[in-house]
Amino acid sequence: MSTHAGGAERARQLASAGWQDLARSAARREADAAEAEAQRELLVLWLDGDPYALPVERVREIVRIRAITPVPRVPEAVRGVISLRGEIVQVIDLRRRLRLPPPDAGAGARRARIIVLNSDDGQLTGLLVDRVSEVLRIAEGGLRPPAARESDTVAALAAYGERFVSLFDVERLLDLDG
Amino acid sequence: MAARRTRSPARSKATREFVSEVEEILERLRADLADLADQRAGGELEPELANRLFRSAHSLKGLAGMFGFEGMSGLAHHLEDILDGLRMGRLAASAPALDLLEPAVELVASLLERAGSAKAQAGAAEEVARLVERIEAALHAGPAAARVAAPEIDERLLRALTEYEEHRLRESLRRGRWIHLVEASFEILSFEEGLADLTGAAREIGEVISTLPAPGEVPEAQIRFSLLVASDADAQALSTLLDHPTASIRCVHRGASDAPSERLEHSTHAAESAQRGAAERSASARAAGPQPDASESDPEDASVSPALDEPAREPSGELDSLKSISETVRVDIRKLDELMNLVGELVIQRGAIAAIAAQLLAEPASARFGRELGKLHKTLDRKLQELQAGVLEVRMVPLRQVFEKLSRVVRRLRRDSGKDVRLEIRGGDTELDKLIVEELADPLMHVVRNAFDHALEPPAERIAAGKPAEGTIRLEALQRGNHVVIQVADDGRGIDVDAVRSRAVACGLVAPDALLTRKETLDLIFQPGLSTSSEVTETSGRGVGMDVVRENVTALGGLVYLDSTRGAGTTISLTLPITLAIIQALTVGVADQRFAIPLTAVLETLLVGPEAIQRSEGREFLNLRGDALALRRLHAEFGLPAPAADARQAVVVVGLGDARAGLLVDRLEGQQDAVIKPILGPVRSVPGIAGATELGDRGTVLVLDVAALIEDAARRREAA
Repeated sequence: MSTHAGGAERARQLASAGWQDLARSAARREADAAEAEAQRELLVLWLDGDPYALPVERVREIVRIRAITPVPRVPEAVRGVISLRGEIVQVIDLRRRLRLPPPDAGAGARRARIIVLNSDDGQLTGLLVDRVSEVLRIAEGGLRPPAARESDTVAALAAYGERFVSLFDVERLLDLDG
Repeated sequence: MAARRTRSPARSKATREFVSEVEEILERLRADLADLADQRAGGELEPELANRLFRSAHSLKGLAGMFGFEGMSGLAHHLEDILDGLRMGRLAASAPALDLLEPAVELVASLLERAGSAKAQAGAAEEVARLVERIEAALHAGPAAARVAAPEIDERLLRALTEYEEHRLRESLRRGRWIHLVEASFEILSFEEGLADLTGAAREIGEVISTLPAPGEVPEAQIRFSLLVASDADAQALSTLLDHPTASIRCVHRGASDAPSERLEHSTHAAESAQRGAAERSASARAAGPQPDASESDPEDASVSPALDEPAREPSGELDSLKSISETVRVDIRKLDELMNLVGELVIQRGAIAAIAAQLLAEPASARFGRELGKLHKTLDRKLQELQAGVLEVRMVPLRQVFEKLSRVVRRLRRDSGKDVRLEIRGGDTELDKLIVEELADPLMHVVRNAFDHALEPPAERIAAGKPAEGTIRLEALQRGNHVVIQVADDGRGIDVDAVRSRAVACGLVAPDALLTRKETLDLIFQPGLSTSSEVTETSGRGVGMDVVRENVTALGGLVYLDSTRGAGTTISLTLPITLAIIQALTVGVADQRFAIPLTAVLETLLVGPEAIQRSEGREFLNLRGDALALRRLHAEFGLPAPAADARQAVVVVGLGDARAGLLVDRLEGQQDAVIKPILGPVRSVPGIAGATELGDRGTVLVLDVAALIEDAARRREAA
């Protein structure tokens, strides 16, 4: 059965094809879908020259850095809050969260972004990162355990060209008491 | 911030809708059951009431079944059985089964409360089974209904009637009403409208027992209906009212009495309009079907002169109920939140327009435009204020709902405990934001249960103390400016201040040698882990103490106070803001930051030099017209850089209820409308911060949680 069949052609095929053919093609489509499910999409971001990644399904949007209102009496990693179309969202500075040195003043600040994560319970969280580069598609089987045995926030490593990208464990990343 | 995180996101939307729908049905059922009790006492039941009750039970059954709440659905099914018996006339108004309606409804309510927990549901199964058994026993004790005996009525028609319709027919015959058969043809395409008009008109003067498709020849594209109408009026009175070109009326049963003369006048009037209407419509009607034929109505009936005093009751009742349905709209509170957000954003935009107008005005070249824009801005401002007030108004609900819930709780407690307690309710019409009312139910319930279980003494003890045997709990709400005060007062034994103190010492909450005023000691009741009554009853032993009450109320931006006189009783007052949605805020500057303070909490502002600030035991205060006002430096609270030591400082005197505190800030910046929004993110609550708001071009500003700041200050004083 040609996959390039046009609408009329397809209709004619459907009319003439026996139900076995139909069933077979449906089974093929299902197998394709199963294969797609094993793929994961990761958003690659950079902190202090190293690549990290977040599962794409948790990312609601990526916004340019904007005025952050500081909030007192919160853990140091929380830079403050931003307003996102009427919603007030906490922003976590991922460099501070991972205890990385602050960025050099001015250098590359233009590329800094806030990645807004959503969650099942309606919470939103902004993550301040140095830059965002791409969406990486990897097979589920391609994930490796993190480099540090007692990793705080990294769930796994994924091959990224010649290097590895660290995939965050989002829940642990957002647990600021830990 | 904890303040606005009041809605649990954990429950799915579907469950929320289920709960809110069942709650609504329960509310209806309760109101109707109250009416039923009155009517049973009077001996005469209004048929539509039994119908309404039946419909409510029926919807409840379907809804509970759909969401898999089997116990609730089974219970509703039995409710339905009783009510069906009632509306079908199988059960008399005096039937004992009707006594089981209220317990069944309350059991449904308690099942709903436990809807979140499968375990609790299972635990209730036995309770449900017991009640169901009682209902079945009561139902089977009743006598069977009789068949309709109405020889004049066509057997074929009788057979087409449903059980309920048959019951209504029987009832009408018993009351000696006229029974008319009205037949009319309608265009198939628009018959629903025409039929509704005709039915409506018939209801003006009687009851439409049944609507059936009529047999016989019908012109093409037409449909013919028969309406069986019971009325105190004769065919003539009816025919003048029915404004339909093809309607024919035949009397199938003559009533016991004649139609009212009053009705005739009305009818004459109606007849004129009917003729007018008929004339207007005659062109299309002629093309569409047969003309009204006066000879079709029974000439004998038409000649009877009418005279009956009482116009039919039921129909008007039915119209009333239809009306109330159409005039109420149920709205998800979240949608109102969205509207409120939109209004808030408009308010902010308006602020930006004002700024542009001011800029234009400052330049001579554009001053004319500035003035014009300024005028427009003023109009916009007025309209926006109206809009804002309107949206706020929609969110307001009377406290009555919560008070009624509480009175049910007290009734149940009274039944279970045998304690004689009277609940006095005042100010149920006082209105509050719907969200606040919802969140208040639990804390208030707890306070009332405490009063019932612990505060009110057993009768013998009361009599010995020279008090009436019956205890009283007074529940009162009143509005004070932008706040509502709710008081729960009992005339019980009062709180033993010494006992509280020794318990607090034993718990390590206060030092054994600490100097505490009476008020400060009473305040210890709100400390976690302190319960004055050693005996824990089932109703109060839910592990929720006064600390949770205070926490809940504080989360709503309110305050709790307790006053008690040994032997005379205890009063607990909750002071709450009327709404959480839009507030007037005072913006203040601390170092390079801005904060907003809800204006409802601001009593006054003053400027002080460093010499006016005194210290006692290291804590700063101010002499405010002879009273010591505790001060809190916001920059120290929030870890911001301090101003120069000799700088003049602004003091914002904030107060809620009786508590006062002075907040030291660097600058007072202005007054503004603010929509308080929750702060989303991993940090669930920031002490002292109620939320954030957007102030147009001035960005996002944090809103102070004044109640928390004041309580914090009070706690510190206690701890010291």
